[in-house]
Amino acid sequence: MTDTGTTASAPRGIFFAGSRFRVDRASAISFIAGIALVYAVFHAVDWKFVATLDFHVLVEYWQPLARGAAMTLGITASSLAVGLSVGVVIAILLQLPIGPLRWLIVAYVELWRNTPLIVQLFWVHFGLPVLTGISTTALESGFIALTLQSSAYLADIARAGIQAVPRGQWQAARALGLPAWSLWLEVILPQALKVMIPAFANLALSFLNGSALLGLLQVGELMTVAAKISDYTFKPIEIMSAVGLVYLLLNLLVARLARWLELATRIPR
Amino acid sequence: MSAGVDGFSVSDSSPATREASQGVPSAADDIIRCDALTRRYGAFTALRAIDFRVRRGEVVCVVGPSGGGKSTLLRTINGLESFDEGSIVVDGIRLPGSRGDVIRIRREVGMVFQSFNLFPHMTVRRNVALAPMRARGVGRDEANARAERLLRRVGIADQIDKYPEQLSGGQQQRVAIARALAMEPRVMLFDEPTSALDAEMVSEVLQVIRELVGTGMTMVIVTHELGFAREAADRIVFMESGTIAVEAPPRQFFANTTDSRLASFLSKVL
Amino acid sequence: MHFHFDTTVIVRHLPELFAGVELTVLLVVVSLGVGTVLGMIACIGKLLGRGLLCWIASAYVTVMRGVPEMVVMFWIYYCGPLILDTRLSSFAAAATSMSLYAGAFLAEIFRAGILAVPRGQTEAARALGVPELFTWAEVILPQALRMMIPAFIGVVTLIVKVSGLASAIGVAELVYQANIVSGQSYRYFELFTAVGIFYFALIFPLSLLAQRYERVLARRTR
Repeated sequence: MTDTGTTASAPRGIFFAGSRFRVDRASAISFIAGIALVYAVFHAVDWKFVATLDFHVLVEYWQPLARGAAMTLGITASSLAVGLSVGVVIAILLQLPIGPLRWLIVAYVELWRNTPLIVQLFWVHFGLPVLTGISTTALESGFIALTLQSSAYLADIARAGIQAVPRGQWQAARALGLPAWSLWLEVILPQALKVMIPAFANLALSFLNGSALLGLLQVGELMTVAAKISDYTFKPIEIMSAVGLVYLLLNLLVARLARWLELATRIPR
Repeated sequence: MSAGVDGFSVSDSSPATREASQGVPSAADDIIRCDALTRRYGAFTALRAIDFRVRRGEVVCVVGPSGGGKSTLLRTINGLESFDEGSIVVDGIRLPGSRGDVIRIRREVGMVFQSFNLFPHMTVRRNVALAPMRARGVGRDEANARAERLLRRVGIADQIDKYPEQLSGGQQQRVAIARALAMEPRVMLFDEPTSALDAEMVSEVLQVIRELVGTGMTMVIVTHELGFAREAADRIVFMESGTIAVEAPPRQFFANTTDSRLASFLSKVL
Repeated sequence: MHFHFDTTVIVRHLPELFAGVELTVLLVVVSLGVGTVLGMIACIGKLLGRGLLCWIASAYVTVMRGVPEMVVMFWIYYCGPLILDTRLSSFAAAATSMSLYAGAFLAEIFRAGILAVPRGQTEAARALGVPELFTWAEVILPQALRMMIPAFIGVVTLIVKVSGLASAIGVAELVYQANIVSGQSYRYFELFTAVGIFYFALIFPLSLLAQRYERVLARRTR
C-alpha cells in the first residue's frame, strides 16, 4: 500500500533507490499466491462432475426465474417505499417533546432493528395469527415483516438525515415566518432526503438480499422459485449458481441506480 | 433609556428622524422597545436587564466583543430566542406573547444571518419568492416579480436561476438580503452580515446595506465593521458582558474618553 | 378472540431451546473466528496485492456481499459435496458459508479502518526513519483497530442475525428448535416472542456498545 502511489504513477524504467525492489517483490508474491490459490482450487474440484452440469435447464426455466426476480424487486421496492414513508413520519414525530411518545418510538425502532429478520418473519406469519386470530398469506406476512423492519431502520436514517440539516436553515425559515408545513415539506425534508441517499442505498441492497428469506415461506420470489426448480429438476448447482448471479446483477443494478440518484440531485458548480 | 454614560441621549443628533428634532422623542416613535430584557443560560447571563429602543427609520449599529450578547439581543427581537425576564414590543406587538404574536412579528421583521442560511436546494429566485408566497399569501407571479425586482436592486439579477452553491459569499449574502426584503418588513436586523465573508466581498455587501439606509428603513446591525458604523449609523451601541455600556451617535462614540471598557475595545480594534 | 399468553410452554421446552442456543453460539463464534482470518487475508489481498491476487480478493468480497447469505448457504450445502466430492454436514455447510460471509464484510471493515488512518501518520513515521514493519505495527494498526471497533461489532450482530438461516438447512440452532417445539404445541406466538426477546437481549447491548464507541471516536478525532 505504501508504494501503490509511486508504482501506479511511476513510468517504467525509472529507478527509485531501494523501492524498485519492493515493487517487484509485492507483485511477485501476489502472482505466486494467486497461482497457488488457483492451483489449490483446481485440485480440490471434481472436474468430472462439473462436466456433467447441464446449464440447459436454465434456458428451459428462464420464465419462472425471471418472474421470481421481478417479484423480488417488487417486494423489496414496495416494502422500502412504505417503510420510508413510515420511517420519515416516525422521525418527524420524534422531534415532538412528548416523553412517552419518544419512548414508544425508540422501543419500536430498537426492537425491530435488533432482532433477526427470520424470527420476525416466523413471528408475523405463525405467531401473530395465534394472537389475533387473523391468518395472513405468506406474501402478506413477508411484506409486513419486511416493511416493519425497513421502517425501523429508515426511521433511524431519517432521524440522522433531519439532524444533518444545518441549524441555520431552521432559523432562516422561522425568521421568514414560513408556516410549519412549508418548513418541513419545502425546506427541511428535501435537504434531509438528499443526505439520506447513501444510507438508503445501502439499506436497499441489504433488503434486496434479505428478501431471499421470504423463500422459506414460499412467497414466490426468486429464492422460492430457485428452490422449487432445484427440487424438481435435481439440478441445484446450475440453478443456485445462476440465481447467485442474478442477485449479483440485481445488486449492481440497485447500486447503479443509487449512484445515478446521488448525481442527479447534485448541484453543478 | 440605559447607559447614556456621557449623558448623551439618543435624540441629540440622529439625522434620520426629523420629527424627533423637536426635542424629547415620544414612545410612539419606537418601533422596537426592550425593557429590562434578561436572558440566562443556566449560570451564565447573556443579557442583563437590557433597555433598548429603536425609533422608526433609525439605523442602530451594535458593536462589542464576542460573547457580549449582541446576537442574543437581536434574536430575542424576532423570537428566535426566548428570554427569561422583561418585555419586548415590536411595532405594537408585545412579547412574551402567543405563538400568533411571534409569527406576526416575524412577518414585519427581516433578518440577515452571518452564515447566509440560504436554502441550498432552491434557486436564488425561489429562495427569495418562497416566503411571500407561504407567509403572506402572495400569488406566484407577484412573488416572482418581487423577487426579480429585489435581486436587481441588490445587483444579482443575472444569477436568478442559479443555486446558492454556485455563487460567491458576497453574492449569497446579497441574495439573503433580498430574501428578507421580499417580505416587505418594517425592520431589518443584521447579525454580523459580513463576518463570514472574505475581505474582497465585504464592501459589496456593505454597499447594499448602505443603499438600504438611504431608503429610511429601520435597521439594527450587529457588526465589527466600525468604519461602516461610523458613517451609516444614527446611533452606535456598545454591548459588553450582557449590558449596554455606551450608546451614542458616531461622533461622540468614537471620541469616547470616559468609558474604560469602550476605550480598551476601540484600542484593540482600530 | 380469546387469547392467553402461555408462559408454561416456554418453560417446558427450555432444554430444547437451550440446546438451540448452544449451537447458535457455536456457529457464531466459529464463523467470526474463521471469518476474521479470511477477512484479514482478503484485506491484505486487496490492499497490497497486485494483479491476480487483488482481483481474486475483490471478486470474493463483491460476490459475498452481493449475494444473499441464503443462496450461499444453500449452494454450499447442496453443491459443495457434489463439486468437491466430500461429505458435508449441515453444520459444516452453515459454518463455512457464514465464515465466508463474515470474511467479506470484515475485509471491507479492515480496509476502511486502515485507510482511515491519516496519511500524515505514515509520512511522519517514515520521515523519522522508522522501519516499515514497526510503522505498521505501532503506528498504523493501533489507530486502525480503534476505528474498526464499531463496525466490527456491527458484523457480530449481523452474524448473530444470520445464524437463524442455518435452520433452513437443518442445523439445530435456536430458530430450528423454536420451529420444532412450536409445531408440537402450536404456541408459535409465545415461543417466537421468547426467541425474539432472547436475540434482542443478545444484540441490543452490542449495538449500544457500538454506538457508544462511535461517539467516543467522533470526539477524539475532533
